[in-house]
Amino acid sequence: MLWVDKYRPKNLDKVLIHEQTAQNLKKLVTEQDCPHLLFYGPPGSGKKTLIMALLREMFGPSAEKVRVENKGWKVDAGTRTIEIELTTLSSTHHVELNPSDAGFQDRYIVQEIIKEMARNRPIDTKGKRGFKVLVLNEVDKLSKEAQHSLRRTMEKYSSSCRLILCCNSSSKVTEAVRSRCLNVRINAPKNEEIVKVLEFIGKKESLELPPGFAARVAAKSNRSLRRAILLFEACRVQQYPFTNSQVIPPMDWEEYVSEIASDIMKEQSPKSLFQVRGKFYELLVNCIPPEIILKRLLSELLKKLDAELKHEVCHWAAYYEHRMRLGQKAIFHLEVLRLSFVTARFAFLAFFSSYDCPKLNQFHDTSVCSQVYEHLQGFPYCNFWLKLELVFSVYWAPLWKKAIELVCFQMQQPATAEVFRHCSLCFRPFRG
Amino acid sequence: MEFPDLDELQWLEVNQQEEEEEYSVELEVEEDKFEIEDDHYESEEAPPSPHRHSQSRTQIPSYDKKRPRSPLDTDYDECVRVRVRTEIETPDVSIQLEKHDNAIYLSRFASEIDGDCVPITAPSGSGERVYAKLDRHTFSVSDDIVVKNSNMSATSSGLISESVCVLLQNAEQDALLKALQSSSEVQDTLPPESSVMTEELWVNKYAPRSFTELLSDEQTNREVLSWLKQWDAAVFGNGIRNTEDEVLSALRRHSSLPLHQKHSSASFPGKSRGPKYPGKYTVTSSNFEHENNRPKVVDNVQNTRQNSSRTPDQKVVNGNDGDDGAVGVDDGVVVQVLLLCGPPGLGKTTLAHVAAKHCGYHVVEINASDDRSSATIEAKILDAVQMNSVMAHSKPKCLVIDEIDGALGDGKGAVEVILKMVAAEKKSYDGNEASIKEGRYETKSLNRGRKVVSLSRPVALSSQVIGRKDMTRSIFDVWKEVFQKRKPKQSRECNINSRKSYDANEFLYSLVSYRSDNELIFDGIHENFLQLRYHDPMLQKTVHCLDTLGVSDLLHQYVLRSHNMSLSVYYPSLTITIHQLLARVETPSIEWPKSFQRYRSLLMEKLERLRSWQSKIAPCISRHLSVNSFVEDTISPLLHILSPADVRPVAVQLLSDKEKTDLAQLIGIMVLYSLTYKNTKSDSSANKSVHDGLLDAVSFSMDPPISGFVNFKGYKPGHYELASAVKQLLTYEVEKHKIVQESIAKSMHSTDSSKLDNNAARDGENGRPKSSKMHEALCDYSHEGITMNKSQKDFCKPIIHRSTSPLGFGGSAADVKKLKFPGDVKKPSFGSFNFFDRFKKISHKNCHNVDSLEERLANAERDGRHLLFKYNEGFTNAVKRPMRIREFL
Repeated sequence: MLWVDKYRPKNLDKVLIHEQTAQNLKKLVTEQDCPHLLFYGPPGSGKKTLIMALLREMFGPSAEKVRVENKGWKVDAGTRTIEIELTTLSSTHHVELNPSDAGFQDRYIVQEIIKEMARNRPIDTKGKRGFKVLVLNEVDKLSKEAQHSLRRTMEKYSSSCRLILCCNSSSKVTEAVRSRCLNVRINAPKNEEIVKVLEFIGKKESLELPPGFAARVAAKSNRSLRRAILLFEACRVQQYPFTNSQVIPPMDWEEYVSEIASDIMKEQSPKSLFQVRGKFYELLVNCIPPEIILKRLLSELLKKLDAELKHEVCHWAAYYEHRMRLGQKAIFHLEVLRLSFVTARFAFLAFFSSYDCPKLNQFHDTSVCSQVYEHLQGFPYCNFWLKLELVFSVYWAPLWKKAIELVCFQMQQPATAEVFRHCSLCFRPFRG
Repeated sequence: MEFPDLDELQWLEVNQQEEEEEYSVELEVEEDKFEIEDDHYESEEAPPSPHRHSQSRTQIPSYDKKRPRSPLDTDYDECVRVRVRTEIETPDVSIQLEKHDNAIYLSRFASEIDGDCVPITAPSGSGERVYAKLDRHTFSVSDDIVVKNSNMSATSSGLISESVCVLLQNAEQDALLKALQSSSEVQDTLPPESSVMTEELWVNKYAPRSFTELLSDEQTNREVLSWLKQWDAAVFGNGIRNTEDEVLSALRRHSSLPLHQKHSSASFPGKSRGPKYPGKYTVTSSNFEHENNRPKVVDNVQNTRQNSSRTPDQKVVNGNDGDDGAVGVDDGVVVQVLLLCGPPGLGKTTLAHVAAKHCGYHVVEINASDDRSSATIEAKILDAVQMNSVMAHSKPKCLVIDEIDGALGDGKGAVEVILKMVAAEKKSYDGNEASIKEGRYETKSLNRGRKVVSLSRPVALSSQVIGRKDMTRSIFDVWKEVFQKRKPKQSRECNINSRKSYDANEFLYSLVSYRSDNELIFDGIHENFLQLRYHDPMLQKTVHCLDTLGVSDLLHQYVLRSHNMSLSVYYPSLTITIHQLLARVETPSIEWPKSFQRYRSLLMEKLERLRSWQSKIAPCISRHLSVNSFVEDTISPLLHILSPADVRPVAVQLLSDKEKTDLAQLIGIMVLYSLTYKNTKSDSSANKSVHDGLLDAVSFSMDPPISGFVNFKGYKPGHYELASAVKQLLTYEVEKHKIVQESIAKSMHSTDSSKLDNNAARDGENGRPKSSKMHEALCDYSHEGITMNKSQKDFCKPIIHRSTSPLGFGGSAADVKKLKFPGDVKKPSFGSFNFFDRFKKISHKNCHNVDSLEERLANAERDGRHLLFKYNEGFTNAVKRPMRIREFL
């Protein structure tokens, strides 16, 4: 068994992080007054684990005997019947399901199926009327309509049924639903907490941990406990007596994104754009959500950018992420982000140089020309052509040929006829 | 006479309104209207019918109730027009009046009035309700009216033969008189607009009721009218006097020139016959409106009188956009359908109604926006057409199909139906069949009320094009249009060029807006625009273009989500933006956009694969394994864990203890995650390691292929690729492990299978070095089995427990042993000693157990057990003969 699953705390007493939360939950259960719950927090922070532990606390070990059911439902929707297939995980006491799987039909799931489930009240073995727990995952992906229909269900059947909602971002859950639940925020674990967990696992597995190794894994884990443990185990498998110089295996898709980022920095042209598009598709095809790609790409780009540009690029990233969520075709927006990054650079450069322009206007002065070039030095990721283009798009130059020679000289590139042709093609509009 | 019941009161109100309308028209000195009225009376038969009589009589109360309140009135005839409202607006006056007379005429309470009363509600402000007494002593007034009416009808009874001039003079005199009288009483008489019926919307209230009141473009109105007039011959019969050709030509003169040409040249060959009836009137353009109406109305009347069986229909199709006119030449005279189009609010419907009424048709309206399916529309049209035979009063019908574009929205079915019917009608006509319905359909086209009149009607009439929506332009043309600039003529001047580009935009706009697959259009642009060679050193254009594409995506999503289809009119403008940015003169090479579709289908496929995999994993693990977290966090480390670098592709016996533990752990993980390796024919040598001992081109790949999730194009995943031999070993182990697990699960339903499995595995690890012990255990087990067979019922769980672990171990050890010989898949799985031992015993047992019942029980027992044996033929160094597994037990 993977360590992730092996060392998953089975009940609320054994949790290593979020201890306070676990204690509070336990109190709730013992007081027999459990409201609807909404767990939210970043992935890998332990929401699901806590929920499972909570269920066990409520119903005892029988809550762990779950079986998967794949059932088709027929829902009457006005004139037609809709068939929905839904996978549920259920024990005798609870049902776990992912209503957002149904896509745009999630409304019917909430309206019909969940209602149906909530209505049926289980009878205890002791003849006492028990209550049932519905665990709904990924509530934030539910459509607005579904969420709205959820709130009535929550109120109406609250005597026989408790809902436990689980999502990443509470901001996408409507206010109405949130206000009906006890919100439990599960933070991403701090690096120290991750280290603690890793050390615990190391002790259990009787491994020798060199000092600082766990911290390194934790730093790589992006504050996701799941990832940290998996990485830890991967390290263990790859090379056991841990060494401090050991390579912690990176996430493949992250590597790929950083490749894209360096591609972006290298060349700016429609052609390279086309190649990058292929790579984006490659990532998207492998089920990696575009939001995550975007986020990662941004952080990769920020590593390589000049300080002045960071602000601008962040702005555009936020802007296009917003649009991406509104829209449907993520690829459009990803590309536009990737490009707007470029334009941000251009714009910045234009601003920067126009500021200096009066000084630099006399292009015959080679010293000024070299000054221009020094500015360009500030952008180490431009390639040669780009730099040429920049020079001439920004500085209108009557003596552009001379300037080309100069730049070529400084870039240690031969000032060939090709260079001149390219420039004259590119900058016809700039030469008045 | 009594008026207590509600029905009558309502009817009264309605009547009152009618009267108002008529009189209001009169007051405006509308000559033609007046004449229509005359006609109206005439058609209602000359002697005052009982109906007419009662109508005039019922008007009495309304006069009466006002009379006492307007003491200044002298002329009853005109005081009739005094609105109730004037009194109510000045309640003090009425109160005073009440005081004047002893009898109560007007009161807040119905009970205060003795006799019949009429409730009146104040229209403005308070909404007070008062009750007015009904007085029945004023028949004189009504008599007056009746007399007047009868006078009029008397004079007009011979109207058809009489000259129009006389009638006209009469009308003029009457009108003048009325005008004078009304002007003398302006103070008391409010204009009829401020009527009691405040419930009516102003839109309806002030809708034009006669042709002259139409505010829409004069020329268009005339065109419509002239078109309707052309039907007269066919509708009202040839024997009856037609609309004068002069009138027609006059009408046409006012229409646009091209239309005229069209009509005379192409559409109406019948016109070349020349005028049948030389015109009597010299029609001037100023009063042609008036002249125009006369003969028409006459015809109408005559027709209804003489020929009730002939009841042709006409059809007016009314729409907001599109200029598709179904055209058919009927009798060589007229097109059957007229299409009126234009932006909303220009009065298309009004024009259709007014003109049809004006020409003496009975308007049948079909509101196509209600039910749009072709079937219902067809039924409705047929209803309207065939109703003639049933209906008593048989004016010819003009079918007005309103909102035909609404019908267009649903798959154009309705228009097709109409077209079909038009065609059918024509055919039946040609065949000269005596069909009951000689329906003719007409469409009107009213183009953009104010802007151009002449433009598209001729086009619509002469061509068979049914709307440009049907334009079958391939989508490639659209993309090409977006990407390619029209070549400007060199001779043209600059401003013409600019206009040209404007035209191009218009064209593009219409092109795109007629297509419904906007998403595809933008996909195509997205796929192709990077291949174009446009000048863009700063990439600004590209950014702008992509931005626009992004907007289109947002728009699309919003439209889909909110079902607000009207927003989709903004798509074309987006393409124009892109066109402006990117268009070049040279021909672009355009490819069909595939990648987005491919991406989508691939994504679906992979998701499906993940799901099915998840469903195979035990729920206690898969519940924590959502797609997102799997792809984001789990997959890469998992692959690392699954492919440890230090597994040597050697037999298990040669491994150290530590290595064995690792291997066991690895196998445990693989089983738990229901992963295995699968034999695949390797076509690409990427997976094949150099040092694997396989000669045939067989490689092992992960099944389910989760490693595909990190196999990005042009990227080498970081995890170590296992050697083929190792994979083979793992495959085998996993397979065996699974079988063991299954058998355990079968025999022990209650215990947690995975836990037990783990235990078994661990036991196996511990026991592995001591192989001799294993053999002993096996022997023990077989002995046990036999003893158990003998004492059938005593088979109990603890024993199984005991025997489970050695067995599990035994199997695995043997299998591992088998892999000792590189390249050999087939190995004897058990030591020969053990094998024969057991074989002997079984045969021995078989000899003993002659009782068939006992044997059956033994069989049942054996099936319940979980002994594993895999017999591979050809791998024994002793006896070689085929046997059944059963015999070993």
